[in-house]
Amino acid sequence: MLSIRDLRLSFKENEILKGINIDVNKGDVVTLIGPSGTGKTTLLRCINYLEKPTTGSITLGDLNLNYEKITKKEILTLRRKTAMVFQQYNLFKNKTVIENVMEPQMIVQKKSKIEAYENSVEQLDKVGLIDKLESYPSQLSGGQQQRVSIARALALKPEVVLFDEPTSALDPELVGEVLKVIEAVAKSGMTIVLVTHEMSFAQKISTKIVFMDKGNIVEEGPPKAIFEDSTNPRTKEFLNHFYMNKLHVV
Amino acid sequence: MFDVGVFLNGILEILKVVPSTLLLAVIILLLAIMLGSIIHLIVQHKVPVLSQLIVVLQSFLRGTPNVVLLYFMFAALPELLTIITGSLGIPFDANKINPVFIVIFTFSITLSVFQSEIIRGAILSVDKGQIEAAHALGYSFWQTFTKVIFPQALIEAFPDFMNSLLLVIKGLSLAYLFTVMDILGQAKLLGGYTQRYLEAFAAAALIYWLLCIVLTKFANKVEFKMREGFH
Ligand SMILES: Nc1ncnc2c1ncn2[C@@H]1O[C@H](COP(=O)(O)OP(=O)(O)OP(=O)(O)O)[C@@H](O)[C@H]1O
Ligand SMILES: [Mg+2]
Repeated sequence: MLSIRDLRLSFKENEILKGINIDVNKGDVVTLIGPSGTGKTTLLRCINYLEKPTTGSITLGDLNLNYEKITKKEILTLRRKTAMVFQQYNLFKNKTVIENVMEPQMIVQKKSKIEAYENSVEQLDKVGLIDKLESYPSQLSGGQQQRVSIARALALKPEVVLFDEPTSALDPELVGEVLKVIEAVAKSGMTIVLVTHEMSFAQKISTKIVFMDKGNIVEEGPPKAIFEDSTNPRTKEFLNHFYMNKLHVV
Repeated sequence: MFDVGVFLNGILEILKVVPSTLLLAVIILLLAIMLGSIIHLIVQHKVPVLSQLIVVLQSFLRGTPNVVLLYFMFAALPELLTIITGSLGIPFDANKINPVFIVIFTFSITLSVFQSEIIRGAILSVDKGQIEAAHALGYSFWQTFTKVIFPQALIEAFPDFMNSLLLVIKGLSLAYLFTVMDILGQAKLLGGYTQRYLEAFAAAALIYWLLCIVLTKFANKVEFKMREGFH
């Protein structure tokens, strides 16, 4: 349903993504893991064209685009089929919770106010924030803000939701509530591409793990094949390193 | 020595021109904000020729006293308009130009340069993450501007706009040199009429000061209202 072919991206002289191919099926939860600075965020941001790839193509549903010849209209279409949840939530801080969720539906999808309101209430109820409709983002905890941003994304009924380290900015005690919401989204059959450093969570909810290193996909497969049975030295080193660090922290 | 009666009467007389002075200042500010937005766009998009011209204009306006510019414009504009209308064959009498228009023109051009900087700063202050979120949600360029950038930039710029308004009101005291009546002009007239300049100018100073206090209070109220709920 989503496939990316030969995606390359350079910032100035540096090639950050070096020919990425990815396939995501409907209902998949694909998680990108890998060392810091490897290009996971950049890859995710190429999917909705927040970053401009040098070459490559993307297919999303019936949309088929060549990054080199993409038009403004195609960019909008691509973005309207996808939704993104950011590390820093990025809620509109001058709008209340309900307005944050309603406004995109009214502006982008031209829904009526009533329709947008009902849909928003439904989404906010799902993320457990039905009692915060009139709050402003600054009055909410990080976990609550992130749940609003998930509701805002889902309210647009996208074909795929992109999560970029949705819990990295949160205090540890707030991570759980957000992961629970993401898990519910995954269970609802939504197609997801996720970047996270929460390995056990990735292992639990993913249908596919993609391990990236230095701008390349090193290895991909079902969680067990990567986390437990991988024989690839780079994968093993990364995972060992990761769990070592985890142990030190704990 | 100081005639309180004349002073109080002076206040009442000068208050009569406060509304028109305020109106003039607001018109100038609004024009300057509009011009400033255009300047901002030209500079932002590095429009060839125009953006270089603006750099020169900025430096010129920064380095020239307002009063000199006013004298210059009062000398230059009628000439210029005569030439333009003459070549177009439109009947035009340079002596009939209302000096108010020249004052408005000069002040709004001078001020527009500063407004463009205020606008630039206000737009830059809008959190980049929210702009990206709007893009990711599928907002067009224009929708992102009107729904996300503009409302937040306006709140940011508002105190600076109000500051500019105070500057204009004070700056307009130059306009009486060109027969445009404002607070100072009225005081001067009054002083001449009663032969009590001390009381007349004291009244003018007090009114400027009060006006400044009232407008600042008003600005703070409006800003507080705009920021309600979020920081
Ligand atoms: N706008 C940019 N200009 C120049 N270089 C950039 C830009 N954005 C990212 N990079 C570089 O691209 C590389 C990949 O960055 P990216 O953020 O995609 O990594 P990541 O895998 O998401 O890392 P992390 O796990 O730390 O989030 C890094 O070396 C980064 O410095
Ligand atoms: Mg990242």
